[in-house]
Amino acid sequence: MNTDFSVPRMQHPVGMAILVVKFCWKAISSFWPILIGLSLAEVDWRHYLAISLVFIGVAASAIVYYLRFRYHVASDALIVERGLIQRERLQIPFDRIQAVQLFQGPIQQLAGLTGVRVDTAGSSGSELELVAVRRSEAEGLKEHLRRRIESTHASASSALVAEGGEDTGAIFHQDKAGTPLVALDFPSLMKVGLSQNHLRSAFISLAVVMSFFQGMEDRVVAWLEGLPFAVQALIGLTTVLLILPGIMLFLLAGVVTSVVLAVLRYWRLNSTLDDEGLKLEMGLFKRNVFEVPFQKIHLTEWSSNWVRRQLGFETLRIRQAQAEGGAGGLRVFIPAVEPAHRAAMESALYPDLLPETAREFRPAGRLRWLLWLIALLPTTALTLDPSAGNLIAALLWSGFVFWTSGRRFRSLRMAVHGDAVVLERGWFWRTRVLLKMSQLQGVEWKRNALLERREIGHLVFHTAAGARSFRYMRKLEGLQVRDFALHQLHQARWALDGQGRGRP
Amino acid sequence: MAQANPEIHLGDVPRLEEVTFLPVSRKYLRMRLAMWGAVQLLSFGFVLAPFVAKAFVDSGEFDGFSAWWWPVGALSTLGLLWLLEEWKGFERRGYAVREWDITYRTGWFFRNTTTVPFGMIQHSELSQGPLSRALGLNHLKIFTAGGSGNLRIAGLEEEEAQQLRAVIEVRTQR
Repeated sequence: MNTDFSVPRMQHPVGMAILVVKFCWKAISSFWPILIGLSLAEVDWRHYLAISLVFIGVAASAIVYYLRFRYHVASDALIVERGLIQRERLQIPFDRIQAVQLFQGPIQQLAGLTGVRVDTAGSSGSELELVAVRRSEAEGLKEHLRRRIESTHASASSALVAEGGEDTGAIFHQDKAGTPLVALDFPSLMKVGLSQNHLRSAFISLAVVMSFFQGMEDRVVAWLEGLPFAVQALIGLTTVLLILPGIMLFLLAGVVTSVVLAVLRYWRLNSTLDDEGLKLEMGLFKRNVFEVPFQKIHLTEWSSNWVRRQLGFETLRIRQAQAEGGAGGLRVFIPAVEPAHRAAMESALYPDLLPETAREFRPAGRLRWLLWLIALLPTTALTLDPSAGNLIAALLWSGFVFWTSGRRFRSLRMAVHGDAVVLERGWFWRTRVLLKMSQLQGVEWKRNALLERREIGHLVFHTAAGARSFRYMRKLEGLQVRDFALHQLHQARWALDGQGRGRP
Repeated sequence: MAQANPEIHLGDVPRLEEVTFLPVSRKYLRMRLAMWGAVQLLSFGFVLAPFVAKAFVDSGEFDGFSAWWWPVGALSTLGLLWLLEEWKGFERRGYAVREWDITYRTGWFFRNTTTVPFGMIQHSELSQGPLSRALGLNHLKIFTAGGSGNLRIAGLEEEEAQQLRAVIEVRTQR
């Protein structure tokens, strides 16, 4: 095992095979319309020759890419040289590294290798992916990087403020045992699969089937036209009879797809929590390992629907800094978080999240009527044709949405703690967003002139992981919270600099 | 800040409402109005083209023009509202620099007040289009991580823009 990472080195030889598969897959997924077109047309040996030549070319370029790929660790950055004809040299300074993720596809699992993905903040396309590194070497690489970072004191990551904790060294930490968080066994995996949105899964499976059978119509029509008329009529009749079973099949496909997707994504999900961050491992064919240090987490979102709540589950989304334009940015997704896990996670991430320190805010009462009015819009269509049945339907609908909009209004809540802000909304689909004032990138107060006359506005929190807002707040309260958030932000910043950890 | 259990006094912190906002250059209003005029000219040219065509090529009995007044009406209403927003909104357009943050305020009907702390600014940029170059104006763009808190303070005089940029650079560094 070679542990000298300061010398440029290649990836493990199996990486060549992985790259060939990857490149070919990329070629197939970008040329599939042509391939399907060819499969319908009359094919002779020249087509086969052309196709195999293309794939040989793709495989050759993958091999060249592998042979010319070098990476090493310099004093202040991770350096990669790559490229087929035009060589590029990629430098990733340590303080730009957001997270290091290990992943294993089927080939890597067989060969005892692992892939390493390095995520960076900001500019997309500069993230790095090594496809084949020996597991022990990957650990060595992480350890090496960690030592480098500590010795260079690269703690001035200007964009990210940690309250008290280590700044950059925490990206890589030794594999010490943390407190176990969520671990999915088979029954809970099934529960997750069964409580997913089946209608959406059904449409996904339908889309997959449709894309598979694209272009088959002509063949079916041609086949039908060849048949005698009586048989055609019979087939037409049976398809009508097939509608109900078809719907059943559609729904069944939805449930099956949900379960299969859940198994593929969350197989043997295992997560642990230590004082530096969260570690997560999941997946069947492609196993992903995420390591998320706490101070790189900019938003956490807890969501649940009614069914999940009955099972005692919530879904947790962890968002890190996103690249410009909303794309990129690692997002970790954990289903089936139980209340105890949530408590552990929240006390680690937001130590000030105590119920007694909260100031609670609710939107202005006007919003309740506004929500009702918006929900009433469909009734205008009914009253255009004022028959008795329509009027009764409109009345029933108004009553129903009066109830739902009332519940929705009552579910909207913002709680401000010492540093954490909690935004809650929804009663059937419930969402709870947590963010830290000390991590805010900006605060915005916006309203239109009509709202300004009523002294109402929207408070928007800009974080590195996107904007979240609390709408229809009373002006007095909104401005108080804004000023308080800015104050807390400056305090945290000042405390950080005061400890001599700012820029020299 | 103590870890334990700090009491929250929301009223005790410095208030942003009390600062005075500095206006951007008056020339920027001219630029916005010129842009408004250009867009109006283009869209009216597009809508009124059939009338002009009719005046030149009179086909006689064709009478499909009654409905055509709707877009003309809608367009002029929208244009007037936009003009009002530009006119009244310019008075409210301005920025304020405090010790630790910078605030930008815009709009008359749609009012925004955005504050970005200096500590979170990643970099800033001065940009100039052809029109603003002719008028000697500069736009200062401020970038933060994630991009959702980005600010664009438009219509600054050359000298003022350089000064503001220098201020931001100094405060971001510390």
